[in-house]
Amino acid sequence: MSSPSSGARIPVKLHRRVCLVQTEDAVLAEELLARKKLAPDIAGRLTDRVLLVRPGRIDAVIQELQKMGHTPRVVTGP
Amino acid sequence: MMLFPDPASWSEHLRQTLPHYGEALLRRVSARLVKTRNQWPASELVERCVTALSDAALVDRRLGELDLPARRLLACVGHSRQPRWRLGNLLELLAALGCAGGPEAILRIFEAGLLYPELSATLDSFEQWLGQGSASAFVVFAHPLVMARALGTDLGLPACPAVSAASSIHEADGLEWPLRLAALWQLVDAAPLRRTQQGGFFKRDLDRLRSDPLLSAPPVDNLGELPDLGLLAVSLAQYEQALVADQEELRAGSLPSHWDEGLASALASLWANLPLLEAWNPQEGWCAPPPSANPYPSASLLLLLRLAQLPEDAWADLNDLDHWLGENHPYWSAAKSRSQRPSWVPAFLLGFAYQLRMLQAARDATGQWVVRLSPMGRWLLGIAAPPSTAAPFAQTLLTQPNLEIVVYRQALTPGLINRLSRFATWKGFGSACTLQIQAGAVYRALENGFTFEMIMQTLEQHGMRPTPPAVIESLRTWADKRERISVYPSATLFEFSDASHLNEALARGLPGVRLSERMLLVADEQAIDFRHFRLTGTRDYALPPEKCVAVDSDGVTISVDVGRSDLLLEIQLQRFAEAVDRPGSNGQHRYRLTPASLAGGSDGGLGIRELDEWFVQRSGQPLSPAARLLLSGSQTPPPTLRAQMVLRVATPELAEGLVQWPGTRALIRERLGPTALVVAEEDMELLRQRLEELGVRLTS
Repeated sequence: MSSPSSGARIPVKLHRRVCLVQTEDAVLAEELLARKKLAPDIAGRLTDRVLLVRPGRIDAVIQELQKMGHTPRVVTGP
Repeated sequence: MMLFPDPASWSEHLRQTLPHYGEALLRRVSARLVKTRNQWPASELVERCVTALSDAALVDRRLGELDLPARRLLACVGHSRQPRWRLGNLLELLAALGCAGGPEAILRIFEAGLLYPELSATLDSFEQWLGQGSASAFVVFAHPLVMARALGTDLGLPACPAVSAASSIHEADGLEWPLRLAALWQLVDAAPLRRTQQGGFFKRDLDRLRSDPLLSAPPVDNLGELPDLGLLAVSLAQYEQALVADQEELRAGSLPSHWDEGLASALASLWANLPLLEAWNPQEGWCAPPPSANPYPSASLLLLLRLAQLPEDAWADLNDLDHWLGENHPYWSAAKSRSQRPSWVPAFLLGFAYQLRMLQAARDATGQWVVRLSPMGRWLLGIAAPPSTAAPFAQTLLTQPNLEIVVYRQALTPGLINRLSRFATWKGFGSACTLQIQAGAVYRALENGFTFEMIMQTLEQHGMRPTPPAVIESLRTWADKRERISVYPSATLFEFSDASHLNEALARGLPGVRLSERMLLVADEQAIDFRHFRLTGTRDYALPPEKCVAVDSDGVTISVDVGRSDLLLEIQLQRFAEAVDRPGSNGQHRYRLTPASLAGGSDGGLGIRELDEWFVQRSGQPLSPAARLLLSGSQTPPPTLRAQMVLRVATPELAEGLVQWPGTRALIRERLGPTALVVAEEDMELLRQRLEELGVRLTS
């Protein structure tokens, strides 16, 4: 990153420790939302490809995705 | 290839242990070890003792000052490659070596600073420590340099009578235990093992381990029967960190990285862990909870050290070894009858030591097995140079179109076992082992950092033929499929007020992925330079939701404090409220409850109870009466509308009197409020008369 003195500080709101599912395309996101066992754990749709998962429900979501035959990539850090 | 454990980690362990010595004891021990002349502070003495144990010449001098039994004991520890031993086992070794004054010999090694007790509290004297409990519970350790320098001491063991072999020589390939540990790792990865409070396993898991076709089957090149092979694998795997304890479960850890260094390194680690086994022994198999007396670590070491007394080409009779142990090991020598003597020696030597490639076996003229140390065994005991274990060729596997892999053991290595185990499931062990490539195993490999390219490289590098296209296609499909969905269990989202701010942040190097015009996903929060940002709000989704909603006095208009709100909030609001175009003061987002929006929420499963909980959580207040009216007004009995005569009086007390006095009580139909009473029209005249009797004049 360049020096902060090169511009004013950018106002931003930070959302930390958020559980998300990002799909390759919007159709796949629709498919996940239509899954009855997943729906209660999905808090909502942030964008057409990003679903917001209820706090504490990420393991259940991963298990259900695997049951559906998907092999989700779990991104935990750097 | 290292003969002994990493000295640095044991030096650090010593650095943690010596401060537990009382100051007088520390000064006494350090005076013996480093010959201190000055009055150094205690911390300096600790450092000097630790430093002394990296000086081979100094260690040699101190060993030379010890008496012979003490040197022999340290040599035994060196031959075992295991620095940590139970005190009881060391006393057994001393007794078997012919030293009657066992504890005194060990105290002398403590005093010399060449052996250390494992401590958790301050120690003022070694005698005090020994008096605290049973010898079998105490654990001591030696530094790897002391172990190495003690090797070569004559143990004084009697020569083993040499016998002749009359058949071909058998020597295992040493891969049996790495293979079994790999199969166990896969079994536990699929379903962890649950442990009881006593450290054992529940029946379901015991049955699983005892009946698993790979773990319970005897090795192909089997010369001796060992009990509970699957549970022995569990014990070994724990010390290899292939299984790790997690609360009340044993979970899959990772297969040892030192397997990549070759067979000798893998076998050395297994051999070094043998003295640590407590819940399994070659006589009874699995013992949980472990028995208090466990003579097998010292007895196993003594058997192999006795074999080491033989010339390289001489053979030993198993019965002789068995008999000698029974006569000389204190645990069995006290037994009066022959039936109480050890009967496990052949099983241990032919079942375990042979599969560890420590022994060669052959038949004598009578058809009985005779054994001798193999070159690998001599190296593991520290009495010979390492043997060459390089595989003659690298191509040893055949991948078939049905996703099965056949691996020939001639060129199999622990490193290859490790890599194959990551993406294929073991199906059979034989002279040719079989594995199955499955989606679940490939997914596990990808999840643990293996890539499609690494899998292909393993198959191509060791394949005797090119990998079939169908297999490549399946692997590619599974790998690609993984890229279709990404799950972020704990991401950081940057929410900008507009797209220009987001672009500016990206331009300044914020390492994020754009999710929308205003939203950026950052997987690694550590990589963020926060000096570029002014935080207008921070929400942590692992904490309970914040109260960030206010309900206006009309009961249906909701204002959201944007600085404190979270992503969940506005998504939830959209389910039962309509956004108001005009923002509130301070830029607050505003929503309004309408009959239609609440009906939509109700259709989506949001009833009065759920909404009430939501409002309490988010605004601190229950659902407003106006919202309740919108939600349930249509479900209550229909209201009635009628004209009534209302009598208004000056004070509540006067109203009370009219309701109470028998002269007027029957004429009051209902009390509407403190000073308002309902009177029937036909009773008006009578009420007027009664009031006039009291001197109260009624006006219309």
